[in-house]
Amino acid sequence: MGRQDRGRQDGNKQDIELMAHLMRRAGFGATQAEIEACVERGYEATVERLLDTGNAQWLGDFMVRRFDLEASGMINYPGSARKWLYRMVTSDAPLQEKMTLFWHGIFATGMPKVINGRVLSDQVDMFRRYGMGKFDKLLLELAKNPAMIVWLDNQDNHKDAINENWGRELLELFSMGVGNYSEDDIKECARAFTGWTIGNTEYMMVRSARDSDWPYGRIDYYFEYRAEDHDDGEKTFLGQTGNFDGEDIINIICQQEATARFIARHMYHFFVADEPPVPAWPYTPPRDEAAIDMLAQVYFDSDYDITAMLRALLNSDFFKAEEARYEKVKGPAEFAVGILRMTREFEMPNREMINRFRQINWMGQELNNPPSVEGWHQGVEWIDTGTLMERINFASEQLGDVDKPGVRDMVNSIIVDGDGVDGDGMDGRNGTRSEMMVSRCLEQMGALAVSDDTRDALLSVAAQDGDERQNVTQMLRLTAASKEFQRS
Amino acid sequence: MSKQDSVLEYDLTIGLIAMEGRGFEYPTDMVVGRDGRLYVPNRARDLGERGVRVTVTDIDSEYYGTFAHHGQGDGDMISPMCIAEDSRARLYVTDDHTHRVSVFDYEGNFIRAWGERGDGAGQFNGPSGIAVDADDNIYIADTHNDRVQKFTAGGEFISEFGSSGGGAGEFNMPWGVTVAPNGDLYIADWGNDRIQRFSSGSAGSSGSSGCEFVAAYGKSGRGDGELLRPSGVAIDERGYMYVSDWGNERLQVFDADGVFVQKLRGEAGLSKWAANFLEINREEGEARAKSNLEPALQVDDADDPHTQSAYIEKYFWGPMSVKLDDAGRVYVTDGNRHRIQVYRRTGN
Repeated sequence: MGRQDRGRQDGNKQDIELMAHLMRRAGFGATQAEIEACVERGYEATVERLLDTGNAQWLGDFMVRRFDLEASGMINYPGSARKWLYRMVTSDAPLQEKMTLFWHGIFATGMPKVINGRVLSDQVDMFRRYGMGKFDKLLLELAKNPAMIVWLDNQDNHKDAINENWGRELLELFSMGVGNYSEDDIKECARAFTGWTIGNTEYMMVRSARDSDWPYGRIDYYFEYRAEDHDDGEKTFLGQTGNFDGEDIINIICQQEATARFIARHMYHFFVADEPPVPAWPYTPPRDEAAIDMLAQVYFDSDYDITAMLRALLNSDFFKAEEARYEKVKGPAEFAVGILRMTREFEMPNREMINRFRQINWMGQELNNPPSVEGWHQGVEWIDTGTLMERINFASEQLGDVDKPGVRDMVNSIIVDGDGVDGDGMDGRNGTRSEMMVSRCLEQMGALAVSDDTRDALLSVAAQDGDERQNVTQMLRLTAASKEFQRS
Repeated sequence: MSKQDSVLEYDLTIGLIAMEGRGFEYPTDMVVGRDGRLYVPNRARDLGERGVRVTVTDIDSEYYGTFAHHGQGDGDMISPMCIAEDSRARLYVTDDHTHRVSVFDYEGNFIRAWGERGDGAGQFNGPSGIAVDADDNIYIADTHNDRVQKFTAGGEFISEFGSSGGGAGEFNMPWGVTVAPNGDLYIADWGNDRIQRFSSGSAGSSGSSGCEFVAAYGKSGRGDGELLRPSGVAIDERGYMYVSDWGNERLQVFDADGVFVQKLRGEAGLSKWAANFLEINREEGEARAKSNLEPALQVDDADDPHTQSAYIEKYFWGPMSVKLDDAGRVYVTDGNRHRIQVYRRTGN
């Protein structure tokens, strides 16, 4: 091979690895064929395709509802989570689902107070619909979202007796972060949201308190503005004075530098590299101050546009950098969905999704039921001895099952046809048959770059005597257990 | 007949959500037995260890018990779908998870079962709709195999018809099946948004069904006479078609020529069991009485019937099947609302 050819091959390998990084972070991973198609298209064009969610296709609402009735009626939260999982596993707009997951982690809302799977599902749909648009619109939809209203007690926030819960969390956890507002600002914020409640409040709260689905299942909640219960008096909030209502408050929040930096840091945390948990942010500077500065500037330049921020982030050098790769621990849902997209177990709905939802829960992330309003602590906190075992067992079980169409295809792609392929071999690469199978295995697992230790372990399996198909499935399982595959 | 003539009027509602015993949990179908009782299979939520059962009741909401509980053994079910009765008072229940048909008597005693996963003769991939003709032949929609299979009452395969596609006589995940009073077979061709009609013919041998395509009714859409993922169909003695238009969350009526006659979004009131619940649980009953259960919706997708039905409780929400009785009643199994809405045919 000449120097020029080798240079071209190295360049292609770098392009593949960068694209694989993009697809892991902005999606749930991709197959080798998908990655190669993306490389052909070009990096920036692929980012644009990921950002274009206008005509997302997935298995579909009708299909899920016909075969999973609780994913239609949604008495409880597992049914609503399953519907979302079906979408994550089959959507051709993975960044849209990733962003929905992103907002679910920040605006964390769960079952214990909402007691209605359908209402939680509506919130997920809202994140999907508005989560890549303007941040002020998203916050306004959040303020009117029935799940959030009930989660943070805004139905108890009255003109003559305010409840500060929503106002406090809006500022602390959802937009600016501690240290950027006063206790008076919280009170004024709460006053502005008085009268923002849900329809049929009394009946819905009686049912919720009793966890009642009688007589005919859950009834969905809708936003209701009660003018007679709204305090329309003058308020002073973050230095501005006026007869503010909730929308005015959100507009003022979105004008703040602190809000821009708070959202930028969340995006960096989710897409680039782990930051400490949010409560530590006031006391710990960002890992990459320049990156946060850049994203915050895009926030203002674009009138708070999340898609513009994503575009800037995904095209940035700090995102593409080699040192950023495999640095993030995959969240449980992200990890499991990536595997289920590979195995193609859910080309049609089936009852196994009930178990998949439970297995993701055992890994530490119960969708639509976060541990608190703070959401889940991410990064290495996803991993302990118990959850690591669950992750490895899950991956091993799924990828070791050759009855699943995706696994069957992967195995067939990895096995080297013919005997004695041990010289200059397939695809222009040098190597033994075992080396070739290992390379193919890593390609099939999403163009995974692994350490020498992981590669040596795979080589020893590939070189085993016996049934080659069994060896290959064992390689897939071993790859899934590797530290590189556990990370993004 | 002119459009939107009223041939159906709301009569009453039967049901209450219950994870076990008296009530329903995601009912999937029902049949009016020759004994006048209603037999209602329930799919239940999630794994369904408690809620899977057949509930036995009647038009007056008298409760007679349940049978056929969750499991893989004889007489057990995992995901019951549809139910039919033959002339000898035997009840046939399909299960789209175990891929088999189980047969019971009125007391719920298990008689036999047949079927296994596959695409060969007598095998199933997701059996759903089931109907029995005057000679006790059994017709079963074999959903993922896109065909209808015909069996003897004893479960012996007779014939099959249909294949995957959208042409005449082809299917896309068929669901409900019914035998009309004249013996013709009607199939809710779910994925093709239509009802297909076949002449029953003579029972063929060697795989020839004898069933000939006669006509298809409906086209995709939300307008009058259009269908979206129909789940079931019933035919009265005049040839009128009653279609549970599942994707549109409504019931539609067509005349014998397939001309649209009427649509209904649902009018459910309180069943006896529901009224009883609200009497006992007074706090809920009083709060409910003060509520507006038919709000003007200002939500995303407010024009989507499925969304509307999530908020407005009286509407159909997942109409799984439609059945008739000899007394002029029309029964719609309202899956997500865990009840049966009953309508009365006018002029009967």
